[in-house]
Amino acid sequence: MELDYLATILLSSLSSASILLIAAMGLAVVFGLMGVINLAHSEFLMIGAYAALTVTKAGVPYILSIPIAVMITMSIGAIVEMLIVRRLYGRLFDTMLATWGLSMFFMQLVVVIFGTSTVSVATIPQFNVSIGEYSLDGYRLLMILVAALMFLFVYLLMTKTVYGMKARASIQQPEMAQAIGIDSNRVNTLTFSIGCGLAGFAGAILLPLVPATPTMGLAFAVKSFLAVVVAGPVALTGTVLTTLGLGGGSSITASFLSSVIGEVFFFLITALLLWLYPCGISAKWRRKL
Amino acid sequence: MTLSEKIYQSAGLTLPAIATLTALVVAFLIDPYLAFVSTSWLIFGLLGMSLDIVWGRGGLLSLGQTAFYGMGGYFGSIAAINFSELTGNSIIWALPIGSLFGALSAMLLGYVIFYARMGELQSTILSYTFTLLLWSVIQTFKIDIGSASVLGDSGLSNIPGIIIGFGAEAESLGPNQALMTVIIIVAILYFLTRQLMHSHFGRIIDCIRIDSSKTELLGYDVRKYQLLNFIYAGAIAGLAGTLYALWSNFLSPSVFSIQEAFLPPIYVLIGGLGTLAGPFVGALMIGIMSFVLGGAAGGQTTLILGVTLILLVLFLKNGILGSLDSLWRKFLPDPNAAARNTNSVKIDVEVLKQILIDAEKQAGPAKNFSTIQLFKKFGGVIPVNKVDRNFIPGKPYSLIGANGAGKSSFLKTCVGIYQPESGVVNLGDDNITSSPIFERVKKGMGVKNQKPQVFGDLSVIDNLWIAAYSRTHDQQIALDISHKVLCMLGFEEQLGVNASALSHGQQQWLDIGMVLCLAPRIILLDEPAAGMTKEETRELSLLIRTLALHTTVVVVEHDMDFVSTLEGHVTMLHQGEVFAEGNIEELRKDERVLDVYLGRRKHV
Repeated sequence: MELDYLATILLSSLSSASILLIAAMGLAVVFGLMGVINLAHSEFLMIGAYAALTVTKAGVPYILSIPIAVMITMSIGAIVEMLIVRRLYGRLFDTMLATWGLSMFFMQLVVVIFGTSTVSVATIPQFNVSIGEYSLDGYRLLMILVAALMFLFVYLLMTKTVYGMKARASIQQPEMAQAIGIDSNRVNTLTFSIGCGLAGFAGAILLPLVPATPTMGLAFAVKSFLAVVVAGPVALTGTVLTTLGLGGGSSITASFLSSVIGEVFFFLITALLLWLYPCGISAKWRRKL
Repeated sequence: MTLSEKIYQSAGLTLPAIATLTALVVAFLIDPYLAFVSTSWLIFGLLGMSLDIVWGRGGLLSLGQTAFYGMGGYFGSIAAINFSELTGNSIIWALPIGSLFGALSAMLLGYVIFYARMGELQSTILSYTFTLLLWSVIQTFKIDIGSASVLGDSGLSNIPGIIIGFGAEAESLGPNQALMTVIIIVAILYFLTRQLMHSHFGRIIDCIRIDSSKTELLGYDVRKYQLLNFIYAGAIAGLAGTLYALWSNFLSPSVFSIQEAFLPPIYVLIGGLGTLAGPFVGALMIGIMSFVLGGAAGGQTTLILGVTLILLVLFLKNGILGSLDSLWRKFLPDPNAAARNTNSVKIDVEVLKQILIDAEKQAGPAKNFSTIQLFKKFGGVIPVNKVDRNFIPGKPYSLIGANGAGKSSFLKTCVGIYQPESGVVNLGDDNITSSPIFERVKKGMGVKNQKPQVFGDLSVIDNLWIAAYSRTHDQQIALDISHKVLCMLGFEEQLGVNASALSHGQQQWLDIGMVLCLAPRIILLDEPAAGMTKEETRELSLLIRTLALHTTVVVVEHDMDFVSTLEGHVTMLHQGEVFAEGNIEELRKDERVLDVYLGRRKHV
């Protein structure tokens, strides 16, 4: 019975960490490949959720609403990159402030359009998995698989496609990349747009777990943001480690003690990691993705 | 100086003074409700100023200012609740205790940020984490301290108002009087801060922002100054938090919230980064905007705030005061005009000798510099392999060697940029192997790196002054020394020019001048002749030979012609080890040296 309890806690913590990874993936891509911190990331997640919600209510099956949400967020992302982010390259903190302004704008816009109330989606799959006498939400567990697939997808996209190679070349040696004819502006627009698309995907896929509200992004924003920054320059792999460590750790702490102590654990470990690795845990790694 | 320049110079004092007086009159006359609301704008402006000290001056975007503000608010209020009954007066308890706790929390956070030498982004993030940590803790934190009860989510209530009278009958001030009191407190803090930022402390903080590694090479304990600046800003934020608590009579955990954390950067950006007065303009504008729109547009303030922030970052980088400042400067004579008519530098050996003799009187005789079995490796590469050297005054020492021979690594290990795995570095009689860079400089080491390192936003004379002040700690003596060096370099007319307006070669000379101002007892020069014209190289050679008569000089150099004009001792490094040494003629005859330099087979 003890073993069942332990297994339950481990699995549910792993799924919490996976949910965090799903939410943070787009942020990690944009930070790792463009060196840009997008503070409006969580609002793209929210837009993805609202997009999925809206089309589901219009009669489209939930599973099909996900690609629609991705497309909508990708387009908005591309526009944002061209109008705002592109003008601020190399000005990390200005980009942060501008995207924070954007996040306020989006949040309020959604309040104006949809109001502040929550609408749940009835057509979404609900099932439970039981371990011994404990029962876990199956959809939550499924997120472990989703996170793994999502990581695999991004990894393959970055290593096996021409776009991925161009993107990595543009961030490692920007001048050289331009010298050999890579249009880094286009590559960056696409990267930013993919990052936003991943956020939209996260919002849509998490919809059954996290109901759509204008402020839903905030809960993820802070933690995914911290996980990515603690991960440091090798954002993608680093973020997998930090989300598992920080997210999983705080979830385990929360289940044994209390949710507030779980939060405190998250922030304290973040501070400790930054003290030990002042430029992120991956600052001295040799790998680049 | 013309009249318009004089007015411009004193604008930071006169305009705020006029604004203070006007505000006092207005505060006396306006409608009490408006007075009540506008008090908070002023308090937010003070919070913004605390960020401007850290961000605009110190160069660190801190999202922890609201944490210090909140901490100051909570502790200041607890003090006010418990002690104000004793005296009637609330602010003599609340303000000192509030700023004390603001300062303490800033000290805690700042120590971690600066002493771990955290990256820029990581510092910002850690300060944000600190705020959020407090936010999540305080929401469930319940405690009674005396008659004050902190009730988690429900906050802290029953905070007395602003009471300046004494005795049992003293009562909270009315809105107009409260506003006037806050205006006076804020004005005192503004002028105090401005004074601080115009003192040597402020200049050092400016230098750290522009180039912290150069500031450390001038012998300043950079982290100490950064921490002190951060603590000062924390105290201001804590005081602002206390004023806010006394004003609203209530505090809730939302002061630590995400939305709140980003407000100070907005105030600062609107007003103008680094202007100190700007944040007040920013807070006032945001305040008026929400006040006017408040009823009609409801939550639409957020929408407008968001768009405003984006537009500000994109189009009005310098904020309102910053832009007005640049506009005003267009009508003043260009201070950098003198940079265009400079002559090439001619070293007057007699003047230089006098400077060096003076330096010797003040700083003591030249010191030996030696390394014993110095060893440094990076992974499998060993750029410094058990090097024994002893440098003494008299003749310049040159270190030569092909690319990758370990010259620069040796120099960097001596300077303290790299920590050696083993071996000893001695400066005079002191073992400095593990001393931080600034301490080595204080003991008499002077370093000139390959690229010119000057503080671009500071005038030529200020660049020299900041170097001289590091050694003398006396404003007037430092000014005398910098004037002497200035004259030797022939920069008298460029005295007030920004260092960034000088040409590359002139910046090299200015950098050398800064090293001279330090009166170093041992000088390390990394490729000083790089990028200089023939003529300048000749002057440089003369300078180095003269220097070596009074101090110990070590030069890392590629240019063989230049090395031979130095007529000194030459050491050739190869694969991290001393390969050959002697004077240049002896090395030129050495077959092994020619093998390595020209790439013939045997020793490569």
